[in-house]
Amino acid sequence: MVQIVYILCSLACLLCAVLLMRGYKRSKHELLFWSATCFIILAFANFILVVDLVLIPTGVDLLLWRSCMSLVAMCVLLYGLIFKSA
Amino acid sequence: MIVAAFISGAIAAMSFTAAAFFLRFWQKTKDRLFVYFAVAFLLLMVERIMRTVLDMENELAPLVYGVRLVAFLTIIVGIVDKNRVK
Repeated sequence: MVQIVYILCSLACLLCAVLLMRGYKRSKHELLFWSATCFIILAFANFILVVDLVLIPTGVDLLLWRSCMSLVAMCVLLYGLIFKSA
Repeated sequence: MIVAAFISGAIAAMSFTAAAFFLRFWQKTKDRLFVYFAVAFLLLMVERIMRTVLDMENELAPLVYGVRLVAFLTIIVGIVDKNRVK
């Protein structure tokens, strides 16, 4: 059950990234670009979550890597919101 | 893992900040997409706090990641809604 939620999280995040990037290509709004970049990094973090907890559950704990990636994603989004949203 | 908890706290604070930005954009533009984004980032904040405070080895794990899934689905719904209105 929980594995399905991890996989769905990963797929939903990837879909968000794709939709936002499509929106950026169409409208060229910079905020969409930074949001899409944030979600691409979050999608990677969620992919690592699937690898860590579903594919190789007994391997090395990647919690710190996942957290760092999510932190970078949020930094990217806040950069876009603060400096590029005017 | 105290470092992971610290990073989670930072991500939660950044998610809250992003949500506040999106709410301000909504106040300015009255574009519903920003409300969806604000709700999604508030949910991501709640998920981070829940995951750090609760013991993740118990049966609540799917619920916590379910909150993350709902956040991503909120953004997908928001983008679809935006395109439908156009």
